[in-house]
Amino acid sequence: MRRFFVLLFGLCCMPVALGATADIKSAFQEANTSYRTGDYAKAAAQYENLVQQNIHFSAIYYDLGNTYVRLGHLSKAILNFEKALRLDPRNNDIRHNLSYTRGLLEYRVEDSRNWYLKASEHILKYITEEEINSVVLGVIFVFLVGGIFGFVTGRGSFWSAWQRFVFIMLLSVGLVAFGKQVQSNLIRDAIVMQKECEARYGPSEHDQVAFRMGEGIKVFVVDRREDWSRVLLTNGDSGWVKNTDIAEVKI
Amino acid sequence: MKKTLFISFLFLVFFKAYVCAEDVRVTASVNKRSAQVGEEIRLNIRVEGQNMNLQAPRLPKMESFDTYYTGRASHITFINGGSTSNIEFSYTLVPQKAGRFTLNSVEVQVGSKVFPTEPIILEVAESQAQTPRFSPTGSAGPVTQPLPTQMPQPVPQNQPSVIAPENDDNIFVQAWVDRKTVYQNQQVLLTYSLYTRYDTRYEGFEKEPETSGFWIEEFPMEREIERETIKVNGKRYVKADVKKLALFPTAPGNYTIQPGSLKVSVREEPQGSNAFDEFFSDSFFTGGSFFARRQNRLLNPPVIQLTVKPLPDVGKPESFQGAVGSFRISATIDKNKVKQNEPVTLKVNIEGEGNIETINRPKLPGLTGFKTYDADTNSKLFKTGNVIGGTKSFEIVFIPKNEGNAFIPPLAFSYFDPRQEKYVTLQTPNFPIQVEHSDQSFQMPEDMTGKAMFQKQVKLEGKDVRYIEEKLPDLLPMRLGGLAYRVLAWLDLLLFVILVFLWGKDRQERLFSKDAALRRRKTARSVASINIRRLKKIAQSSKEEDTKEFFVELEKAMTQYMADKWNLSTYGVTRHDLEETLAMHFGSDDPHLQDILGLYALCDESRFGKGSIPQASKKMGIKIFQDTVNRIERMRK
Repeated sequence: MRRFFVLLFGLCCMPVALGATADIKSAFQEANTSYRTGDYAKAAAQYENLVQQNIHFSAIYYDLGNTYVRLGHLSKAILNFEKALRLDPRNNDIRHNLSYTRGLLEYRVEDSRNWYLKASEHILKYITEEEINSVVLGVIFVFLVGGIFGFVTGRGSFWSAWQRFVFIMLLSVGLVAFGKQVQSNLIRDAIVMQKECEARYGPSEHDQVAFRMGEGIKVFVVDRREDWSRVLLTNGDSGWVKNTDIAEVKI
Repeated sequence: MKKTLFISFLFLVFFKAYVCAEDVRVTASVNKRSAQVGEEIRLNIRVEGQNMNLQAPRLPKMESFDTYYTGRASHITFINGGSTSNIEFSYTLVPQKAGRFTLNSVEVQVGSKVFPTEPIILEVAESQAQTPRFSPTGSAGPVTQPLPTQMPQPVPQNQPSVIAPENDDNIFVQAWVDRKTVYQNQQVLLTYSLYTRYDTRYEGFEKEPETSGFWIEEFPMEREIERETIKVNGKRYVKADVKKLALFPTAPGNYTIQPGSLKVSVREEPQGSNAFDEFFSDSFFTGGSFFARRQNRLLNPPVIQLTVKPLPDVGKPESFQGAVGSFRISATIDKNKVKQNEPVTLKVNIEGEGNIETINRPKLPGLTGFKTYDADTNSKLFKTGNVIGGTKSFEIVFIPKNEGNAFIPPLAFSYFDPRQEKYVTLQTPNFPIQVEHSDQSFQMPEDMTGKAMFQKQVKLEGKDVRYIEEKLPDLLPMRLGGLAYRVLAWLDLLLFVILVFLWGKDRQERLFSKDAALRRRKTARSVASINIRRLKKIAQSSKEEDTKEFFVELEKAMTQYMADKWNLSTYGVTRHDLEETLAMHFGSDDPHLQDILGLYALCDESRFGKGSIPQASKKMGIKIFQDTVNRIERMRK
């Protein structure tokens, strides 16, 4: 009986949620209209407003990225395309626009990482964390049901050939999920937001400049201080930059 | 069965080896039995039989002749799974003085047997001419023919200084071009000639030639490389052209061609001082003895200088597009009567000598009454002799727009002829066609649909970001997905708990199945709890028969609990056994022991006595039972 009331409450809440969606859609369409009419500044503000309301759709980030390209704010455009790609990693339009915008940048960084790092990054970027976690949960479900079935039917053999196969599957997808977890949460990628950014050998203005970067360059944050972050580039160079010079790609 | 097969196989192998030696036939022949002093006589020793791997036979010592081994030729024939081979060893004999001589029998060793040839008598007359100092002695050509015979300009300055790896002048390679000065896009033949006094095997390029600035076509080499004997600086060498490349310079200028390095292997064998044939004791370029010890050598011919002249500007026709050589042109159309918007295909064929791959389609004149499309291009390359040539055909589709009489105009093709040093212009014929009226609009002809050249290429004209996304995805599937994800996570947790529980139960069952006493001990408390609940229900009734039943059940439950706990027989245990066991565990002075014994006495009284038992006694009985269970459980811990 109690369950029935919980379900009833959930169903009652659903129209409220859908009502909120209608508002979001309306605001999104307004921003699109501003973009179509060429009022890119207004469109950017409208898209940003949606993002600030914690509404995270790849379409919003993608459109915001496009708007910033039109306004010439390439670092913001790249940041938003990267966010859009996190939510919708197999979207070819986002990939194309990100690649196009990177081509407009003043600076370019060679990717001198090992082939296996590049390959694993490439593969993991084609799936979201939720997707791989769902697969892991699904395989766990199959594994548990198989085990219970073995006990309930009295076969008594929990570690059957099928269970071993499912367990190997579980290890495989678990490994991928682990990799994705590392990519999403441990390797924090960020975008240089300043037109010109100095990376230093230490976290202070007194330290010598190691190298300079332009806006839109992607870096990996490997350490944090109060006002400084240590960043690593794909060519292997690393240096300390001010936190205000970069923006992390996180949703 | 396997054993029989194996024995049969061994028999066949040995029998075949025996037959091999038996079926050998060796003959010797000369191309002429009479010659002048200094004139060459070719001696052939032919060995016929089954597959053989033979060393070249050594000629007997002949003081009146210079003898040279000039190579071998093998012919293998496969018939019905068997094979026969004929090997012919060639020698050149140069008589040094006149007279009548007998060429003694030559011994050929096949396997363990020696086969002699028949002696040959030779007549030698006095010489009429001097032998040139540098002359080829190839069997086919005349003795005094200059080297190389097929080269238009055997440039003497191209002769290499002797390349002597490790100061060995017994082997060297010469890379030479057939002409030093050429026009742009005119063919130059680059030849690699190997001169050797060893048993030599050509292995290929160790380092490819550097020929940047040239379009290159390679001539396929014959399976049997032609060779000839030649004298250089008083020494006789076997010479063979091992590689030929046709070079077409793409731009004028002075070029330095790095010919690369050739790798050869020579057989290490002590060289006789006076018998030249010992140097060539086996095949040349055919492998030689498989087990012979060989040494690899790198041969580096010197660089080659080449001057490429620009094509003259004087007289250069408008239709000239860079073709150099000697060409012919022909053209055909597939129909001369068509309807409006119906295609006519003009096929233009250009053939001749020169770099056929670089020939472009003749330019079309400005046509107003036609739509034109390039339909197809085909080229065939021929490498005949030392010349590259071929044919190239172009198909052009003309689609007449207007009705009436029309002409497919002549197409002009020009080339530069380096021999005549002038430009030549050729033209296709003028093709009149009759165009009938048609209302049909233009459609791609069915037979042309598969030809990509006919269709215009889609080209990217600019780059920009792709358009914005105008729709938000539907939230409901996303939320349902999120809900399903959470449900699945909780479900997994639940299933995990169930699985752990089932696993525990399964493990317990396995233990209990091995130890019944353990099962009783472990389940005693839960059984006692169930019994206590049942007793409490019975105790609520005040009827006399229920009171009786209560005490009967109480006694049973207590006895069962203690029997389970201490592994006593439930039905065989006596009151005395229980008293002893309780005294052992509690101590004989323990007040609770007295309570238990009192309770047992009360149970007996209820069963056999006639007086009524107060309701409070039931509660007290249950309490004693509970206390007993609790105490014994604590004791176990």
